[in-house]
Amino acid sequence: MAHDRVTLNVGGKYFVTSRTTLANAGRGSMLSAVIDENWQLVPDVGSNELFIDRNPAYFSVLLDLLRTGELHTPPGMLEKPLYREAEYYGLLDHVRAARKGPLNGNRLDCVASISGRATGDGTAIRASPDGGCCVAHDSMVHVYDWLLEEQIPLTLDYVNVNDVGFLSPNRVVICTNDRESGAGGMASFNVKTGNMEHKFQVVHDGESKNFTAGALASSDKHVYASCRGRSYEYGVGTWDQITGQQVTFLYEGPGRPLGDACKLQWLPRTNLLLVANLFPSSDHSFITLLDPRTKGKVWSWNDAAQRGTADEKIVMDTVAMEDCSTVCVVNQFDNLGFIDMRASNQAVRWSHRYQPSKISEAEERCYSKLACSGSQLFSSKNDSVYVFCSPDWDAAKGVQTARLRRPEGGAISDISVGGDRLFVLHSEEDLFDVWETPGPSQIVNTY
Amino acid sequence: MNPAKKKNFKIEPFKHKVEMDPKYAEKTWKILEDAIHEIYNHNASGLSFEELYRNAYNMVLHKYGEKLYSGVVATMTQHLREIARIVEAAQGGLFLEELDVKWREHNKSLQMIRDILMYMDRTFVNNFNKTPVHELGLNLWRDYIVRSPKIKDRLLNTLLDLVHRERTGEVINRGLMRNITKMLVELGLPVYQEDFERPFLEAASDFYRLESQQLIETSDCPDYLRKAEKRLNEEIERVAHYLDSKSEAKITQVVEREVIGNRLKLLVEMENSGLISMLIDDKYDDLGRMYNLFRRINTGLQTMRELMTAHLRETGRQLVTDPERLKDPVEFVQRLLDEKDKYDKIIQQSFNNDKMFQNALNSSFEYFINLNIRSPEFISLFVDDKLRKGLKGVSEEDVELVLDKVMMLFRYLQEKDVFEKYYKQHLAKRLLSGRTVSDDAERSLIVKLKTECGYQFTSKLEGMFTDMKTSRDTMQGFNSTWAGAEGNDGPTLTVQVLTTGSWPTQSGARCTMPTEILAMCDKFKMYYLSTHTGRRLTWQTNMGTADLKATFGDGNKHELNVSTYQMCILCLFNTSDHLTYREIEQATDIPAPDLKRNLQSLACVKGKNVLRKEPMSKDISEDDVFIFNDKFSSKFYKVKISTVVAQKESEPEKQETRQKVEEDRKPQIEAAIVRIMKSRRLLDHNNIISEVTKQLQARFMPNPAVIKKRIESLIEREFLERDRTDRKLYRYLA
Repeated sequence: MAHDRVTLNVGGKYFVTSRTTLANAGRGSMLSAVIDENWQLVPDVGSNELFIDRNPAYFSVLLDLLRTGELHTPPGMLEKPLYREAEYYGLLDHVRAARKGPLNGNRLDCVASISGRATGDGTAIRASPDGGCCVAHDSMVHVYDWLLEEQIPLTLDYVNVNDVGFLSPNRVVICTNDRESGAGGMASFNVKTGNMEHKFQVVHDGESKNFTAGALASSDKHVYASCRGRSYEYGVGTWDQITGQQVTFLYEGPGRPLGDACKLQWLPRTNLLLVANLFPSSDHSFITLLDPRTKGKVWSWNDAAQRGTADEKIVMDTVAMEDCSTVCVVNQFDNLGFIDMRASNQAVRWSHRYQPSKISEAEERCYSKLACSGSQLFSSKNDSVYVFCSPDWDAAKGVQTARLRRPEGGAISDISVGGDRLFVLHSEEDLFDVWETPGPSQIVNTY
Repeated sequence: MNPAKKKNFKIEPFKHKVEMDPKYAEKTWKILEDAIHEIYNHNASGLSFEELYRNAYNMVLHKYGEKLYSGVVATMTQHLREIARIVEAAQGGLFLEELDVKWREHNKSLQMIRDILMYMDRTFVNNFNKTPVHELGLNLWRDYIVRSPKIKDRLLNTLLDLVHRERTGEVINRGLMRNITKMLVELGLPVYQEDFERPFLEAASDFYRLESQQLIETSDCPDYLRKAEKRLNEEIERVAHYLDSKSEAKITQVVEREVIGNRLKLLVEMENSGLISMLIDDKYDDLGRMYNLFRRINTGLQTMRELMTAHLRETGRQLVTDPERLKDPVEFVQRLLDEKDKYDKIIQQSFNNDKMFQNALNSSFEYFINLNIRSPEFISLFVDDKLRKGLKGVSEEDVELVLDKVMMLFRYLQEKDVFEKYYKQHLAKRLLSGRTVSDDAERSLIVKLKTECGYQFTSKLEGMFTDMKTSRDTMQGFNSTWAGAEGNDGPTLTVQVLTTGSWPTQSGARCTMPTEILAMCDKFKMYYLSTHTGRRLTWQTNMGTADLKATFGDGNKHELNVSTYQMCILCLFNTSDHLTYREIEQATDIPAPDLKRNLQSLACVKGKNVLRKEPMSKDISEDDVFIFNDKFSSKFYKVKISTVVAQKESEPEKQETRQKVEEDRKPQIEAAIVRIMKSRRLLDHNNIISEVTKQLQARFMPNPAVIKKRIESLIEREFLERDRTDRKLYRYLA
């Protein structure tokens, strides 16, 4: 159909294509608007072409993407300008979908190693929902967007950061200790502007209280944090993400394990909140699943029964895997353990029985960290990340399916999964690795 | 950094080159602003999309996003204020049309503006948490047009006025209405709900409150319901035509509440046209309409059910206690069946076979059928009538139908054992007189009773059928050995051997039979006892029949079909033409009531009076004289002399049956008590009563006083004992 044909003049180079191809770009794209009948095309005199003032080399690649759904770049073409052009046409999502597949621990490539300029070791790394991340260094939080470009560093009154997390790709929440002056606490920031948006308050009897915000988690509506205040501000707070107002507060009596929690995790399928008190912030380990609506404990585990035995195992990190109804834990000797989430007060089933002969060897290392994605479990150990996959955690045996390791970098201090990426933070330098699963059609890497 | 070092850098000229034209942002914005003006003025054909998009892109790229965004807000606001003025100025009916036109134009302009600013939407708006352009355009439209003080109320009033006019029968521009409500929905559901739906529902509520008030004063119930249904459908249709579909449930709720819910009692109880009149007159359509409308109200169906139940119970009570009706049992039961059919049909046709209504119907029937103590007897009589004559020439399916209906009535009976008693009597009569129409029908009914009440209930009835069959076989044997040998000149005897216990026989009804008959009887007795040793035969003369050949004056010959008693009486007239009552009584030895009845049927029935009586009167007295009626004549050769039988039981008979039933119940109650106590060992009085009642209610409703008597009797016989400490407790003694 001749009517379907469109001639584009991009930066002086002619492209003849069809409206159908351009329509593949979708309604949010400039290319579909350019042929929209609202803009009754008045072709330049004497020709039948549409002029677009952009670089034709990149357009050629993107037009091909629209035609075939695959992304192929000629040798020498840089990634960043291609993304910039894709952004101009509104084709960024197409490019990303072609480039990056859903996270699969057994098919991971290290796509970047980013070294920052921070002094001191990074203490925590957190992935954002769209593939960016942030790294906490003492009182600073360094934020990287999905292109891994560093954004404006964030700080909350230069108080040491306890935990940090994304509410959306553009919103970060920082939890810090409190100061007498009222500084510190917990606040959300706009990543793009670097400005603080909202400071979260714990209100008791109509009065705002100072508090130290510990661990952080967020559901799609709420944000949760473990809080240590002086009296009634001790527990887990719940705030509305949009208004920033406190929704509820889970107080606890003597013993106060909730407020000391060092790890929170939101479980979206069961709508439960995992709260974990682990060594070294507490002597005994507690793991609890809370229902924030009823404020009730749905499930709990503690290690009181196991303490004092010969092979003393201290749980150092935990992650709940809803897909497998299992809470995974790891101890100081990097041994993995599994607890059944379907019944309370279960014993840990440890998968390995390894105990180092020399304690000093263990002291030099970083403790193991856990993360999960679907039914895959990631566990860091020394300078590697191990991927485990097993549909049957009851057998108390994670099947190790892959090992991720980079020659440089050294011991791993934290890992995080999000936006179909695995982020691995090294302890020695300000360095983190980004792993992702290649998409159906990979960009031709020219490095 | 070291400040000294910084000075050494020579970056001034370079920096200067990068510095943009300071007026750049202003210039670019001017181009975009002009374009937006052109778009609003429908003059976009001269614009280049690519150029505008590139300019907007550049502004955002060079960090003028905020300027661009606020500029767009200001420009759009300026245009919307202008549009608001035009819409406000529109006269009367043109107001909505103008609004609709402007809305469509605004939408198109907004679409184009969004196209230009697509890049800003993707980056700046996203990063700075601003409202996207399209949503912004809708919000501004909402704030400056729909909610502008001069438009807001006028818009609402215009819309409500149009709806009101349509309700009162005018034709309005539905397409326009649709566009406007669609606009409100597109501005966000809260806008539609707050600015239109809520006042709309309030207006509807007011309208229908008033209308239903007027209507209920002027219309009867069916008429009112028809109008209510019409209104409801109109509102549903209105929603479909020009409102948001979510409004349907809300507006129907308003109509339901105002038109039906608030008038529920009035409607149902409306004199001469309410539910009861509809039921009486079988107004299926009206009832169906009422059901469907009332179903929408919480308590609607319950109200209907309660009234229907009350009505059914009252009419039922009248029916079963009406002394006129009691005269004809068949008609009585037929009326019950007709009533049941009537309501079954109503429930099926109008009430959607609603289980709750069926239950109400059943419980009502159960209630009033048992009000009349004679219902079991009447139902049995009805069956008797049907099986004797009513079912002649009726197809098998229809027979089943009738039997099923009878079974349904039977189910309502509390005193099923009384029914059994009567049924046995009636069945016996049918079998012995050979008057049953269809053996299949008889057996079918017994199977039905068996499935309903269990094997025990029908075992005796089945025994009766077995007796009939063995009797036939016995007679065949008897005839081939005896009757065949002696030739055919003597009387022929047909005997039915009945098992004692299976049949409702009255013992002791003796009579002296004529000698020739007696001889035959003895022969049969000999034959029977020779084949079945150890048995005892008693003659039930009160149940037999005989065929007599009689010769009257003028040589008139007739065959008379009479009862055994009548045969005995008539045989006396072989030797004498003239006998007194006392002579007859002496000669036949028939019990007085039976004798009187038989004489009555021989002498007092017109056209069948083979005897004459002196003096002529209806009743038989002990001084009467009976004379052979020489002048008897009849059109038929065979004449059946039926015994004058009260179809219904006479008062003493009734008492007797009643007594028998009570007598039969005693062992059943005792058996139940023993069964229960055997398993429980220790139980208090109230619990025994309730358990016994539970066990027996399938057959009859035991009277607590009777149960207490049985318990006492069992204590006397040392089956049970009272607990020594608690007198209310009974203990089972093994």
